[in-house]
Amino acid sequence: MNPLEVSGLTKKYPSFLLDDVSFQVRPGEIMGFIGRNGAGKTTTLKCLTDMVHPDKGEVCFFGMPFSGNQRAVKQRIGFVSGAVDFYMRKKLSAITDVTRRFYENWDEAAYRRWMERFSLDERKTPAALSQGMKIKYCLALALSHRAELLILDEPTSGLDPVSRSDLLENFLMLAKEGVSILFSTHITSDLERCAHRIAYIRSGRIQAVCKTEEFAGEYRLVSLPETPQDGPVKAALIGPRLEKTGLSALVRREDAQRLGLPCVPCDLENAMIHLEKEA
Amino acid sequence: MKKLLYKEIRLGMHPTNPLFLGLSAMLLIPNYPYYVIFFYTTLALFFTCLSARENHDMEYSMLLPVDKADLVKSRFLYAVLLEMAQVLCAIPFALLRRKLNPDPNLAGMDANVALFGLSLLMLGVFNWVFFSRYYADPQKVGKSFCLACVAVFCYVLLAESAAFAVPFFRNVLDTPDPTHMGAKLAVLAAGAALYALLTLWALRRSIRRFTALDL
Repeated sequence: MNPLEVSGLTKKYPSFLLDDVSFQVRPGEIMGFIGRNGAGKTTTLKCLTDMVHPDKGEVCFFGMPFSGNQRAVKQRIGFVSGAVDFYMRKKLSAITDVTRRFYENWDEAAYRRWMERFSLDERKTPAALSQGMKIKYCLALALSHRAELLILDEPTSGLDPVSRSDLLENFLMLAKEGVSILFSTHITSDLERCAHRIAYIRSGRIQAVCKTEEFAGEYRLVSLPETPQDGPVKAALIGPRLEKTGLSALVRREDAQRLGLPCVPCDLENAMIHLEKEA
Repeated sequence: MKKLLYKEIRLGMHPTNPLFLGLSAMLLIPNYPYYVIFFYTTLALFFTCLSARENHDMEYSMLLPVDKADLVKSRFLYAVLLEMAQVLCAIPFALLRRKLNPDPNLAGMDANVALFGLSLLMLGVFNWVFFSRYYADPQKVGKSFCLACVAVFCYVLLAESAAFAVPFFRNVLDTPDPTHMGAKLAVLAAGAALYALLTLWALRRSIRRFTALDL
């Protein structure tokens, strides 16, 4: 049974449409949810837990529809929306003391372990923590009630490279322990390091749900000194962008072979920025 | 609900809330519009909701394994407990005032049983206006409080004017206890009943509005 199944999620705003979003998160899987700012990542994640009411669509956690099973579902998931920005002047010990009361499966020993692993001091307030430490505290809370699925909204934004690396390592470790993770980000290199699959959203529509390496593997990155005049080559270029030395663009793997273009393998970041340009 | 109430007190309670309970002692001021004491209770609730917004309480609470409606219920429970605590704290000061200074209050209603009934109704009006509006958009807590203040001031203006102009208020209700106790107790009972009715009505409206709200 999949920890999360989203089907046909639709939400209409006056200036934005989240359109028929569907994807699944499998057990023990890290799924990256990527898209540029404003693509609909946060709206989708908010729809999952009814913070935003979708107009259509269904969200099922562990086979149960969220609607009507809120309490049971929330006992089994951890939702971390960025860093902790609540009760900034209260001590972590006070926030934990309140939080732990709500969870049937609160594991005090696990909480102590995570606090120690993340080098968090309970006597501090969130205001005294760095961005990375704030995220780690949120994770410690989520993991201490033995969440089986973590939904993380941009958990690595604003973190320095070392903290990001630490965090990704923790995600991989958790996935090995069977925890599923869905995390949204626009830092694609994070996903290359740890995500098993990605869901790519653009302008409110899911464009791809596939294995991380498959997504970029469909394309090759080509660098040209100038815009080609040749019709077939020009037509094959996807999202050409001006560069210091000319221009770069994506081409489909088969087009690169057919046209004999000088190209290199494409990473997730390049795939995304050129696909966004093409859109 | 017990856990959410604990959260309200441990994390959400504004420091002025217990302090304002002490303002019940203002009943000892010889001539004073005593409704002001209960206005401070409404101010305390405003501070709590304001502080909840600044502390992103809603975002925190939505992560907890509770229903959205429970968040509204717990805030109402907290408000009712605070309002009842203010009333209970005021009772000994009303009794003390009668003992120390049995003269009538020249600035408004006497500190008597009827005042408590009329003040409960005032709190009911506040709950109805403030919370119904607040849960339609918790970010605009100031606007909700302004609207509630207008309603409360209109109510107090009417009640205090009645104590001067309406014979039943002037001759029966605005008198030192224990005279006309029957009428005053009836006003207390009616005030309490209307308070309960308005608060429950506000709760239903607030739950309906808040559960439909996109956060």
